[in-house]
Amino acid sequence: MTMTLLEVSSLRTSFATRSGRLGILRDVSFAIARGETVALVGESGSGKSVTAASILRLVEAAGGRIDAGRVSFEGEDLLSLSPARLRALRGGRIGMIFQEPLSALNPVQRIGDQIAEAVRLHRPLSRRAAWGRAVELLSLVQIPAPGLRARDYPHQLSGGQRQRAMIAMALACDPALLIADEPTTALDVITQAQILSLLAELRDRLGMALLLITHDLGVVAGVADRIVVLYAGQVVEQGPVAEIFAAPAHPYTRGLLDAVRLDTLTPGTALPEIPGLVPPLDALPAGCAFAPRCGRADARCRSAAPPMPPGGARQAACFHPLPAPLPGGHAA
Amino acid sequence: MSTRHPGLLRRLLTHRQGGAGLLLLLAILLLAAAGPLLWPGDPWEMAAPPMLWPGEDAANPLGSDVMGRDLLTGLVSGARVSLMVGLVSTLIAAVLGTLIGAVGGYHGGRIDAALMRLTELFQTVPTFVLAVVLVAVFRPSVATAVLAIGIVSWPATARLVRAQVLSLRGRDFILAAETYGMGTARLLWTQILPNALPPVIAISSLTIAHAIQTEAALAFLGLGDPNVMSWGTIIGGGREQLVEAWYVCGLSGIALVVTVLAFNLLGEGLNDCLNPHLRSQ
Repeated sequence: MTMTLLEVSSLRTSFATRSGRLGILRDVSFAIARGETVALVGESGSGKSVTAASILRLVEAAGGRIDAGRVSFEGEDLLSLSPARLRALRGGRIGMIFQEPLSALNPVQRIGDQIAEAVRLHRPLSRRAAWGRAVELLSLVQIPAPGLRARDYPHQLSGGQRQRAMIAMALACDPALLIADEPTTALDVITQAQILSLLAELRDRLGMALLLITHDLGVVAGVADRIVVLYAGQVVEQGPVAEIFAAPAHPYTRGLLDAVRLDTLTPGTALPEIPGLVPPLDALPAGCAFAPRCGRADARCRSAAPPMPPGGARQAACFHPLPAPLPGGHAA
Repeated sequence: MSTRHPGLLRRLLTHRQGGAGLLLLLAILLLAAAGPLLWPGDPWEMAAPPMLWPGEDAANPLGSDVMGRDLLTGLVSGARVSLMVGLVSTLIAAVLGTLIGAVGGYHGGRIDAALMRLTELFQTVPTFVLAVVLVAVFRPSVATAVLAIGIVSWPATARLVRAQVLSLRGRDFILAAETYGMGTARLLWTQILPNALPPVIAISSLTIAHAIQTEAALAFLGLGDPNVMSWGTIIGGGREQLVEAWYVCGLSGIALVVTVLAFNLLGEGLNDCLNPHLRSQ
């Protein structure tokens, strides 16, 4: 696979807690090709953000530790890079945007200065040239009057504009991969749609790959090429968006999809939900982590964890996958 | 969409204590700066009959001390010394405290533990006694007084900066700065310190007030610069005539109280105006 940009294999990350080390990622593997958009989907606490933080090795500052696995980016092993090389990659080849742009921007620095700073970390530009580049980036992310907005402080911008500014900062040095950690969660529905279409447009224009982390499958549908579903720190299913939406194989994916298909609801009836809660990571069941919440689980699911079948564009770690739809028909 | 906050100066002037402190301080600064032009002369020079009461002679409006030295010239000279010592020693304390607090708070672990033990060591020793010892060990001069006061004044700032850095350390924008490849030194300098600074400015105003008092106390004990007329020197010289010529100690004491009060009021105002949680109320 010469087109592979990022490859995460058998990643295990743990955090120190009072009752010992707690495995947050328990074997996460997936790959992103150049220019591809992959959506990392799962409930709160499934390990989506920790996966992103592990790729950029940000977990170390937060008290986490990468115990095993490999993350290779453009052929380089990120987990064994020197600090200097790592800093060059962060922001240089890999950009990242966060859920809450107001807290992810420095409150006492002008937007333009922050972006110029990010540019100058990786490119030998003068202050004036870096400022020019910052204004250019602000117009790239379609902020009106970018020259004026560059002089504003974060609290002077609207939520959508702040997220655009954050994106501009992440794009400062034309990254090959942009990691977006819940980029639209803090925004209203209209702004969400605008930010998503902006991300898709920038991806196509700049030819970068996008790792979209979200709990909202609605966000995924229009933008992503492939979906990776995480549950309790493990990948339970992955495959092309269209195939997974048409016929989810893992009961958990099916549950997630049912939860967003509001068009099939009758008013007055209860919203569909997956029964139960994500099990606490220090008290995982012996077999499949989803078994206690799964209608299809049997004795085997409760005693052994279903392995992820090797290879293939479409994978699901389940002993009893849902049947593929009949040609032309609906999923079971 | 965009909201403008009024500038700090405007907020300070509309703040009751802060505005009063600022105006008072401006008046003192003006006197200190213009004094030598309005009342030229050496504050040590015997320019009048001794113990001339204020108002007795228009040439010496505030009277003279037991040696016949003009009190107004002395007070103006004292203002210059007090402000200078207060500002420079506080600058030393602020730089030392910020450096120690920021490094400790950012690195944590053993470095932090070692720096905080050092801070506690300085805090357990009475600051004035330490300042006296430091000045006595070296030759008393303005420079040693400034250094000694600076060295005993940093711990409060260090603790404050450390707490600020600890709370900023986990914020998203610090993490974001790391994701675009910023190294430790730059992260501290451009991201953390500008956000940690407002309370340091507020506390520094109080540190200045305390430094001015300490300088006066040192000079009162005869540990001031023998060539410099400071308020402490005047009070020390006037204490034997406290009954016959109480105005010598009284006037310089009032000057001291007013100046310290001005810095305290300013500190109070800065604290309110720089605190984003109080600003909106």
